[in-house]
Amino acid sequence: MKRLLAFLAVMSLTLIGTHVAAQSQESLMTDAHIDRIKSYCVEAQTTLGQLHASDALLRVNRGRLYESMATKLMAPFNSRIALSSLDSLGLPGIASRYDQELMAFRQSYQTYEESMSRTLRIDCVKQPVAFYDSVAETRSKRQQTHQHVTRLHQTIQDYKAEFEAFAKKFKEEQRGD
Amino acid sequence: MIEDTNLEDKPLTKWQQHRFMAMIGAVILIALFLVGVALALYASSGAAQLDLSRPGYVSVRDQANKDADFDSFPATGPMTEQTINQFRSHFEKQAQKATGIDSFGGNAMSDQALSLDNPPQ
Repeated sequence: MKRLLAFLAVMSLTLIGTHVAAQSQESLMTDAHIDRIKSYCVEAQTTLGQLHASDALLRVNRGRLYESMATKLMAPFNSRIALSSLDSLGLPGIASRYDQELMAFRQSYQTYEESMSRTLRIDCVKQPVAFYDSVAETRSKRQQTHQHVTRLHQTIQDYKAEFEAFAKKFKEEQRGD
Repeated sequence: MIEDTNLEDKPLTKWQQHRFMAMIGAVILIALFLVGVALALYASSGAAQLDLSRPGYVSVRDQANKDADFDSFPATGPMTEQTINQFRSHFEKQAQKATGIDSFGGNAMSDQALSLDNPPQ
């Protein structure tokens, strides 16, 4: 019974806290700011709709390219090194890291896209604060997706650097034979 | 002597009378369930995000690249200097394409860009 009461108390406090936080966010915004959101939000939603479409195209084209880098270049080259019984240095490790980054990028984009779709569905004239908050959330998710893209690019550069080390070692071994 | 059984004389039960309709109903219910499962998978797997045939993507649909311009590096064969040079050239070309654009960056979603910033008092 005591546990139930404690649980209910915690739940009530959490709900009250969330409500107060939402209200304080609303109170932080001035009336002029809310009016501005109401005035420009339809235009903003149109811009976001265009961004949504162009990002989808970017996701399809970039995603295909990133995936091909792994499946059509890194994996076959690593396999070829293994079949030739050569020391692959850190290439398989980097390729594996790249796969993980690619998976994280896909997940991150999906979360961003879902958030963007929610933002576009909000009636921004009736709910300007909710719309503004949703834009902020979507912006943060887009930023996270960008960070994953940056990490993917870095991993490609790492693979390239490790490949050059492998090529140098291979050349030296060939000369030594 | 075996007694003749005339099936037409036997009265049909309610189930027998409506079994064809029941079967049609069951088939529709199963189809609806399977469509529901398929749609749930479509939404949760991330396929929906890659589907440019959805409404709203009409303007960008024809700009999707075809996969044909990316040649696969052969996974078998001897490792020679020529192989390494070939891979280097291929990798650099594709790496340039992949890292050349800073995707999802920029300030396209900033308050200023969307005119949602707090106006000066």
